[in-house]
Amino acid sequence: MATVSAHAPGLAPDDVLTRSSGRLRWRTGFDTWMGWLLPLLFVVAIFPILDLVYYISSRAVPTLTWAILTNSDPTAIDALGVPIVTTFEIMVVATGLAVLLGVFGGVATAEFLSPGSAEWIRASANMLAGAPSVVVGYFGYIAFVTYFGWGLSYIAGVVTLSIFMTPYVFRTADLAFSSIPRPIREAALGSGARPSQYVVRVGAPIAFPQILTGVFLAMAIGVGETAPLVLTTTHGVIVPQTIYSPVSFLTGLIWSDFSSPANSGLQILAFQAAFLLMVIVVGLNIVVRFISARYRKRLEGLYQ
Amino acid sequence: MHPSPAPEKLRTQPLPPSSPPQSGPARSRVVRGLLATLPFLPALVPAAIITGIVLSLVSAGLEANLGSSFFSFVWNPAQNHWGIGVFLVGSFLTAIPALVFSMAIGLGLGIASTSYLPAYLSRWLDPFVDLLAGIPSVVYGIWAYVTLAPYFQNSFNPWLNLHLGVIPGFGGRLPSTGGQGLPISIFILTLMALPITTLLIRDALRSVPRDLWESGLALGATRWEVVRHVAIPYSSRGVLSAALLGFGRAFGETVAVAMLIGGATTLPTSIYSTSNTIPATMFGLLDSARNNSHFLSALADMGLVLLAITLVVNILGRRLISSVYAYEMAGL
Repeated sequence: MATVSAHAPGLAPDDVLTRSSGRLRWRTGFDTWMGWLLPLLFVVAIFPILDLVYYISSRAVPTLTWAILTNSDPTAIDALGVPIVTTFEIMVVATGLAVLLGVFGGVATAEFLSPGSAEWIRASANMLAGAPSVVVGYFGYIAFVTYFGWGLSYIAGVVTLSIFMTPYVFRTADLAFSSIPRPIREAALGSGARPSQYVVRVGAPIAFPQILTGVFLAMAIGVGETAPLVLTTTHGVIVPQTIYSPVSFLTGLIWSDFSSPANSGLQILAFQAAFLLMVIVVGLNIVVRFISARYRKRLEGLYQ
Repeated sequence: MHPSPAPEKLRTQPLPPSSPPQSGPARSRVVRGLLATLPFLPALVPAAIITGIVLSLVSAGLEANLGSSFFSFVWNPAQNHWGIGVFLVGSFLTAIPALVFSMAIGLGLGIASTSYLPAYLSRWLDPFVDLLAGIPSVVYGIWAYVTLAPYFQNSFNPWLNLHLGVIPGFGGRLPSTGGQGLPISIFILTLMALPITTLLIRDALRSVPRDLWESGLALGATRWEVVRHVAIPYSSRGVLSAALLGFGRAFGETVAVAMLIGGATTLPTSIYSTSNTIPATMFGLLDSARNNSHFLSALADMGLVLLAITLVVNILGRRLISSVYAYEMAGL
């Protein structure tokens, strides 16, 4: 009989309280069980991360000394000075390039393009963010290392990494400018500001914190990336002297030493590098959360 | 008494008439036209990079003629066999089980934190799962290689072999791989896809209007029934996008898999075999390909296949999401 039924789909119509209390007990019992079982899945998800943090710290921290962190002797095994300094240098330069490529692009997409073409550009930025890091690394190898003839070098690695980081900066810059309340934009343009004046004087101060979170997020993603750098650089033992020098960096060190014999000096070094990397990434994520929490308050003020 | 400040006198005089746009004599129309396009140029950066990536992979991939051997299951560089089949099988054999597991756990976590856990608990627990996304993949790799691989070799794989040996592929002799191989790769990919699937599913379930939850409950349905029959059907697009983007993440993951899968160049004989995925192969073998144009072409062609698959999955997945939060999320 095809009648319009008021009960929830999938439930038998008239067994709710009237006929079968056995079925009611089964339904509520199942619900209670799910209420216990599903939250237990958090243990499945959180246990590995706790184990990872505990294990890597327990391997790295007892042997990690200030001397290891600052030792730049190219012949010493227990020296992290060179990779730390080089990683820092790479991150600064690559982030600078990514900001240059990404921020202006994001602002232009949000402010100057027609909605239709902005959609296409956003789609291409999303595609770029979705491209596997190894593909970006291959692009760097084919384009910069061989075609441009830079060789396996610092500059090839840095440019490749910055290209990997660009879409994240681009998207936050675009999002930050697109989410500025419309009345503010119209007030600025209506009182005679040119679009460029609006972007610099009105939009930039509002969007700045959010763009900053994007930059830090891109740094956190970039500093933990291995493939773009490993494929475009060659292993060095000292801090790069020219832009064509070989480089040594934290993720590359882990990749080259992870399969060393258990508890050997090199494997301990790889664990120490992994520990440092975790500290850097977690630190950057905390900065991001801090900025975006403050930013949210500020944006709420805008809507009052 | 506080005298109220006198209101500023409003300007009553009319503004001077705006001058008509001046066409400077020094600037020709062409120069002005070019200047007008300048602000648009930076917007082309992502499109230009994507085009550059595709063009460079195509040009490197066409450099040597691989013939039909590319579409085969034989990989033997010494004899000019460049079959992608082995690695395609390896990629799907790791990514699909990882996707199934991470979707199952992600659905459970999403449902738990939206409808079963009190808000103060889920507010504390959810960031832990999100934290999984931030850990660099090389850190996952070294952790799994040193701690989990011996466990998989000595305990987990023998246990599977003993109890599920009747299923084809699960039985037979247990190879001694030091723990590397498909199971540990699937485990680590599950862990790496989990934050994406969980976040998108949670987000999708949160976007179900409160009225729907409450009218379901008011009709006498249990919480589970509301989730099963109201919330999940309502947010099915979000759940599907979680599956697609989680698959994209698992399929493209490079370094952790390269550390754990064992780098075999033949088809796996059982689920305990070592294998290799497309990204792990590209990553691990570039060094040996440097002076061999056929080898490099084969890897670049693999890169094109990988890029095509991940792009299709990502585009489809993103079309389904509308929420700003997911758009903003890192690593997606």
